[in-house]
Amino acid sequence: MTNVRRPGDPPDDRPAGPLTDALLIDGPDEPDLIDSSGDPVLPEAPPNATVITDATEAPRAAEASPAPDPDPLAVLDVRPAPREPRAYHFPRFERHVLINGLTLLSAHLPGRPLLNAQLVFRGGVSVEAADRGGVTVLAARSLTEGTQQRDAIELIEATERLGADLDAEAGWDSLVAGISVPRSRFAPALELLAEVVLSPSFPEAEVDRLRDERLNDLLQARAEPRRRIERVFPETIYASTAPYARPLGGTERTVPGLDREAVQAAYWRLADPASAVFVVAGDLQGLALVDLVEEHFGGRMAAQAVDRGALIEAHADGPRVVVVDRPGSPQSEIRIGHLGVSRSTPDFHALSVLNTILGGQFGSRLNQLLREDRGYTYGVHTSFDMRRGTGPFVVRMAVQTEVTVPAITETLGELRRIGEGPVEQHELDEARDYLVGVFPLRFEAAPQVATAIAGLAIHELPDDELDRYRPAIAAITADDVLAAARAHVRPQDASVVVVGDASQWVDGLREAGIGEVTVIADPVSGEER
Amino acid sequence: MPARDPDLPVVRFTERRLDNGLRVIVAPDRLAPVVAINLWYAVGSRNETPGKTGFAHLFEHFMFQGSRHVTKAEHMTLIQSAGGVNNATTFFDRTNYFETLPSHQLELGLWLEADRMATLLDALSQENLDNQREVVKNEKRQSYDNRPYGSFYEKLMAAVFPTGHPYHTTPIGSMEDLDAASLEDVTAFFRTWYAPDNAVLSIVGDVDEGPALEAAQRYFGPIPASGGFPPFVAPDGPTRIGREIREVVPDAVPLERVHFGFRMPPFGRPEYDAMEVASQILAGGKGSRLHRRLVRDERIAQDVTAFALPLVGGSTIFAGWVTARPESDAATVEAAYLEELQRMVDEPVTADELARAQALIESSELSALGRVEEVADRLSMFATYFDRPELINEQLGRYLAVDAAAIQRAATEIFRADNRAVITYVPAVRQEAAA
Repeated sequence: MTNVRRPGDPPDDRPAGPLTDALLIDGPDEPDLIDSSGDPVLPEAPPNATVITDATEAPRAAEASPAPDPDPLAVLDVRPAPREPRAYHFPRFERHVLINGLTLLSAHLPGRPLLNAQLVFRGGVSVEAADRGGVTVLAARSLTEGTQQRDAIELIEATERLGADLDAEAGWDSLVAGISVPRSRFAPALELLAEVVLSPSFPEAEVDRLRDERLNDLLQARAEPRRRIERVFPETIYASTAPYARPLGGTERTVPGLDREAVQAAYWRLADPASAVFVVAGDLQGLALVDLVEEHFGGRMAAQAVDRGALIEAHADGPRVVVVDRPGSPQSEIRIGHLGVSRSTPDFHALSVLNTILGGQFGSRLNQLLREDRGYTYGVHTSFDMRRGTGPFVVRMAVQTEVTVPAITETLGELRRIGEGPVEQHELDEARDYLVGVFPLRFEAAPQVATAIAGLAIHELPDDELDRYRPAIAAITADDVLAAARAHVRPQDASVVVVGDASQWVDGLREAGIGEVTVIADPVSGEER
Repeated sequence: MPARDPDLPVVRFTERRLDNGLRVIVAPDRLAPVVAINLWYAVGSRNETPGKTGFAHLFEHFMFQGSRHVTKAEHMTLIQSAGGVNNATTFFDRTNYFETLPSHQLELGLWLEADRMATLLDALSQENLDNQREVVKNEKRQSYDNRPYGSFYEKLMAAVFPTGHPYHTTPIGSMEDLDAASLEDVTAFFRTWYAPDNAVLSIVGDVDEGPALEAAQRYFGPIPASGGFPPFVAPDGPTRIGREIREVVPDAVPLERVHFGFRMPPFGRPEYDAMEVASQILAGGKGSRLHRRLVRDERIAQDVTAFALPLVGGSTIFAGWVTARPESDAATVEAAYLEELQRMVDEPVTADELARAQALIESSELSALGRVEEVADRLSMFATYFDRPELINEQLGRYLAVDAAAIQRAATEIFRADNRAVITYVPAVRQEAAA
């Protein structure tokens, strides 16, 4: 059941998770943190289902004798071997170009009656003007607040009567308006989506309300350590003029100046059918899809020349160690990282394997060390956030206060070690097999497939990118991983940001010699330093 | 009642009870070459004893620390390098363990689950206990203690259910009790609760029924039954709290927020179905009553929620919250929220509201039944809670059968001043926050 989405930026500045976050306790693999891609990006992963377990790693199971044994549990002495894998390929999709230049990409997924359609405009938050920070996100959210034909409530009620979920959201490199709806009601839902993207009215009262909600959300974000730190960390690696230094939804400085006029201008600057793609995924059997899309979007949306603007990528001057002091905090939130790569990097597949080994899954080096050996944390994760421009590489964790300094120094140690020599064969095998194996699991539902296809368009990747994924991962060697580590993991350049009770560990942090420490007093606690 | 969507799938499954009491359910679904394995144990935080809160969850962590043929943390590594994902969760009434794998790795998943069900204690050590206790304490800090409003769940359950009630404490437990956990406690917990006759195994995806049942028999069949599970007796207490409970909590929060809790009949009862639909009408989306009035029209609230928790032990909780905008305050949003609950009592919901809510519920069902791990989880749930896995195909019909009168009746019984807890969070004053 849907809940009212809380305003705020989804990936890098996001509000508390869904209700169930607080109500169910997760087990060891913490699904709650971090998949911090700003856009529908390519899934960072998987594979070609051969192999899978590493016999050299299973001596106890492999050596066990299958001979008759009085122990009825003897059957457990032998670890079962995998059977013959079933073939899998990423769903095929078809391409049609409508008269006005809009490209339709459709994937027929038999047995998936909940359809997902997304109109994807390329260009997003990363090209908005610095003094208009947040305008693209506000424009996206205002899209579903009324049209020339219907006010907000009429639009919402019409959507709900179809059992549909109509939504628009902006990321770094795109603005996406989409709808999920049972196939039996696809045609009327498509009409609503068309109305929203072709004739939005951006009612002033609703735009103002959403702007005020964003400002209130910024207050909330300041109070929540794991959101507070996501605000501070980018500021340590990007210059203040760069969009990537800001949260997607804008700041206390930029948001108050946003209004209906700014939102309208931001939307129409991006809304060019000739550079857009329309993606539909689900069980399309019996639907005259091309005709439907042509009818609703083909003629009524005129191509315009869109200036996506320049991508500003100014970087901060040097490593910084920043502490946000929150006296009394029971934990320290920590981010360690630096500039990473863009999605166009030729090292994409090597970095996927590298990240898996370093901190991308439960058995990663960092999680084994800091969680399973030391007990410092509930979980530690690393990611390369790949965007059209240079996104960040970041290590994320929350640790108990007293181990703040060792958690940082041991993490930096692992960042050094990954560049000092090739990874072990079993690490390489486990990471590649994981990425190859989970690939089909990522595309079970229509929205996942549509989002992956949209990612290809946003990042201007070839149509067979997802088909190439598994063989490309399987071909990565330990040397490839080492080269990628040396090029893209640079602990000497890393910023370190901590939100926590500084009095408990700030002296130790200074003594650790990572860099000059800057302490910011946290306005939430009201304590000034 | 709206017409049911013709595309709604019917889940077809086979079930068999092994000689040792393990209930096995298999549902083939050929859409993708994946299989979901899902194991529910009928034990949760409700089965904990005083002074040992948080044990069901701490124990869940032990299930990843190795068993006779699996070394520490190897469980996760084996699943992941087989191309799978897995996890576990602990709730009041149960604990579940689940993995989704490429279908040719089905047996690996079954073997791993069987090995820890049969031989977990072989790998138990003080070192693992000390390590996982720290991990769980960090989980508590991260998920609750270091978050604004993070104590609401504990406070709400403690207010709605009296001391000694199985829902009085939440699954995360207390730091003191976690600190006191010993190896003997862990051993006793395993021997008491973890056995085939206290579990349901569901297998859903790209499998054939026969071979899947045979594989389940092969790996789980030899594990001895245990029996003698301490019976859970749903408390006899009154169906209502009996008075209004109020608490004001100063916290490091910028906006005032009011949390509500009402005691109500449990998941599985018609009143619960009615309240599920009611919560959709109240706060289920942008067109819902609370959102429309408090967030959109009056603009006094930043966000608003309402939901029922699916607990089955005699009663459960209807909960929700509203966060006040800075220019408003807790008293104003509380009054507006409660007025909207009272309106559910005073007049029937409209036919259009009901139809919209049910259309959204239906789409959400369509989405859920399209994912093998969700189907497996629901089969295990309905078998564990109600001994009727076929409820997976009946639950939606129950929601669609709810009418305006049923909602009004349930609201009249539940939304009463003498049946509510109200927990109000206010910004702590400067000196308290700095202490």
